Amino acid sequence: FTACSSCPGAGQDVGRSCILVSIAGKNVMLDCGMHMGYNDDRRFPDFSYITQNGRLTDFLDCVIISHFHLDHCGALPYFSEMVGYDGPIYMTHPTKAICPILLEDYRKITVDKKGETNFFTSQMIKDCMKKVVAVHLHQTVQVDEELEIKAYYAGHVLGAAMFQIKVGCESVVYTGDYNMTPDRHLGAAWIDKCRPDLLISESTYATTIRDSKRCRERDFLKKVHETVERGGKVLIPVFALGRAQELCILLETFWERMNLKAPIYFSTGLTEKANHYYKLFITWTNQKIRKTFVQRNMFEFKHIKAFDRAFADNPGPMVVFATPGMLHAGQSLQIFRKWAGNEKNMVIMPGYCVQGTVGHKILSGQRKLEMEGRQILEVKMQVEYMSFSAHADAKGIMQLIRQAEPRNVLLVHGEAKKMEFLKQKIEQEFHVNCYMPANGETTTIFTNPCIPVDISLGLLKREAAIGPVPDAKKPKLMHGTLLMKDNSFRLVSPEQALKELGLAEHQLRFTCRVHIQDPRKEHETVLRVYNHLKGVLKDYSVQHLPDGSITVESILIQATAHSEDQGTKVLLVSWTYQDEELGSYLTSLLKKGLPQSTA
Amino acid sequence: YRELHTFELQAPTRLIEWAHGSRVCVAGYGQSGGNEILQLIPPPRLQAKETQGLCPERDFKVECGGFSKHPVYSLKHVPDTSLLVTSGPPDSSIQVWQVSAEDSDVIKSMGTIVTENSTGQPWAKIATISARVPWVLHGSTLDSVQITEVELRKNVYRAASQDSEELSGLAFLDSSTVLLCCARGRLCMADVRQPQHPTQAVPVPAVPHGERWCMGTLCAAQGSGMGSQPIARLSSRGFIILTDLRKASEPLALAQARVPSPGSGAEFLCVSWAPALQGCLAISGFDGTVHVYDTQRWDSSGREAEPTFVHKGHVLGGAGGSGDPPLVTAHTWHLQKPRTVLSAASDGSLHVWDWVQP
Repeated sequence: FTACSSCPGAGQDVGRSCILVSIAGKNVMLDCGMHMGYNDDRRFPDFSYITQNGRLTDFLDCVIISHFHLDHCGALPYFSEMVGYDGPIYMTHPTKAICPILLEDYRKITVDKKGETNFFTSQMIKDCMKKVVAVHLHQTVQVDEELEIKAYYAGHVLGAAMFQIKVGCESVVYTGDYNMTPDRHLGAAWIDKCRPDLLISESTYATTIRDSKRCRERDFLKKVHETVERGGKVLIPVFALGRAQELCILLETFWERMNLKAPIYFSTGLTEKANHYYKLFITWTNQKIRKTFVQRNMFEFKHIKAFDRAFADNPGPMVVFATPGMLHAGQSLQIFRKWAGNEKNMVIMPGYCVQGTVGHKILSGQRKLEMEGRQILEVKMQVEYMSFSAHADAKGIMQLIRQAEPRNVLLVHGEAKKMEFLKQKIEQEFHVNCYMPANGETTTIFTNPCIPVDISLGLLKREAAIGPVPDAKKPKLMHGTLLMKDNSFRLVSPEQALKELGLAEHQLRFTCRVHIQDPRKEHETVLRVYNHLKGVLKDYSVQHLPDGSITVESILIQATAHSEDQGTKVLLVSWTYQDEELGSYLTSLLKKGLPQSTA
Repeated sequence: YRELHTFELQAPTRLIEWAHGSRVCVAGYGQSGGNEILQLIPPPRLQAKETQGLCPERDFKVECGGFSKHPVYSLKHVPDTSLLVTSGPPDSSIQVWQVSAEDSDVIKSMGTIVTENSTGQPWAKIATISARVPWVLHGSTLDSVQITEVELRKNVYRAASQDSEELSGLAFLDSSTVLLCCARGRLCMADVRQPQHPTQAVPVPAVPHGERWCMGTLCAAQGSGMGSQPIARLSSRGFIILTDLRKASEPLALAQARVPSPGSGAEFLCVSWAPALQGCLAISGFDGTVHVYDTQRWDSSGREAEPTFVHKGHVLGGAGGSGDPPLVTAHTWHLQKPRTVLSAASDGSLHVWDWVQP
């Protein structure tokens, strides 16, 4: 059976994912996320839950990371270098490339900006990544002789994967974060009908009915357009990959259609990095991007040009994409400082910002920021937030369950929310058990392994001929011999089994003596017995053979005189093992004695 | 548009009802069972007075849900209680549900109020009133109109009528008067304090035969008394008659809406008054559009009226080419924001829109 322990996060749409699965004796940790809402030790999962004597490397067979978001991998360096784990860490290639960048960014913000001390170092991030084994999609990876894992495409962000963990005939699928509808640069999650014993799915967005992408984009374009029309500047801080490309394509199309003249810039550092990553991971994006990339360089747009620092001071409207995404350092922060004072300008944050960053502060409504050297920056520009990140809603979860056909479902959710409705929905539609453990709770799931057994044709034909006609809805009881050899199971007739094994068949025969008081001759006693039995056992075949014995079906009855007492006759009742029931019935019948009446 | 939000429900709904605490209820009407009743929390954006910017909270959240074996054609929240009532085929009984969002997110079935001779009857129309008593007005034909006190399941009133004409809608005008609209266009009123008196036909001029009619009234709570708000009746050919109940023998205004000739029947005909815009009404159910009219400039000529705005989102936003074009199944007005309308269509779409006044 598999057991599961989860430590989901709390609050808003940010959580922390870290799940421990025990399957057929193997222990796997799924994701190792950091909770970004807390500033103290509560941000790390409590690893003492896992094992009492602390040797994680011995206890865990592997760690799997689903994607590069910090709430899924943020605690990894802490876990591997500060708590201590030296075993393998599995993730996809893009995740392996992008994780360290985000972890380093995050470390810089937390330590340099906020002065935290109990945190992992840059060296620790490097050491941690050395333990990572990168995997390809749909590639079966043998972790050891019994444990294997396989990654499936999850959509959501570049490199995000769902993982199947298999030991023998038991398997678990963990989805991480996934999305069932394709967007401009990522496809939709997909899995085959792998029928895992358990599907672990996130369900934070199960109760959300999302506004359509079209409407979000329409509003985004409207805002950008309005700002540019009144001569303002729009700053869009982005991470190098993902949403930036989507927004670029969106703006380019809009500019073309509306014949707009205001310049759009993309900072060069971004271009190089993004190009580099896209070249590496082109198979991870969807068809459209791939086609675009093949036809031209990712950033050779007609209306979008490379940015130069000096342009920020140019008068007039413009749109600029710059890194980093949370406005915590670098070019985007520089531009922000230049433009913040003018209310005609606008900054659009396209994603979640970590606490402590300028991005987070302005999204929380702060309008006076303290910069280095105690300088106060007054923010008069418009601050907008636009979330493009995609998660599965209730419909998506149902779709995934339909695709994978799990036997049990376990939902991990952000808050200890009541999700009784979704649970019932899943149970009713798919007739599977649905579990929703709370933070720190262990769920135990029992599996019914399927053992395939081949049945010999001869046995099948013989058994099918006996008794009622085979009915698909009713189980039929069959008798045979189970031969187990070399991991194969076969059901054959006993005769064939004996033959194959070179064994001789033994016949068991029982003989029972019944004493009857009868002074007459033996053959008269036999006649009396015969008539008695014929009268009682009307449904059976009772025969009086010429040699003086009686048969009832296949049971033989013979009479002899008692050696010492002529008045007593001894009936020998003899039957084979197969006729045990009838034999003992006959014996007890005869023991009751014969009726007095004569033949 | 000033604002446009489009959502996709897992299953199409033919009702959009407001419930306690600005919640919105929708429900499935599939024939093969497994229908869900959902109580949704609208995005904070739609609740605020001022429209904010690209605020992240643009999504509906499912607050709680329930399962109904039968299709749900009508749903009303019983004010001042945590109860909902629904109705739908195969008969004219009504189902009672309990919503207790704080304890659980499941809407529990509390049983059925079976009406006499309900089998084989068309589905019941329902109306509620925000008075201190939890009354539900329901019935499928003129002679089966009744009021049930829904917490005690007690019958409070039964209409004294012999007429088995089918109803298309009913409403409380105030706590002692109900208005009934027949599918063939007749209007009747009854005083619930005097059940022995037969229902009175409202002396409106006869309407052309062969069409199906529905009515729209403003909730008794909104209106300041029975007479102030005109009653609107809409026919399956798009004819709209406005009637002032105080002077019912003459129509207040007549107009013809430019709608396609009735194709799939009058299953989803819907007409409603805007609660916060004087003289403004909306109609839907003919195709994939919702028309908004300013009736203040209408007269009694019955001419074709020009809509102030036509919402075409359900047609344009659809899957395109895959089967029949979507049909708008229901629409309702936002209770506070003057020009905001919610509309649903047969493809499962749910739109919330706010048009720019020309």
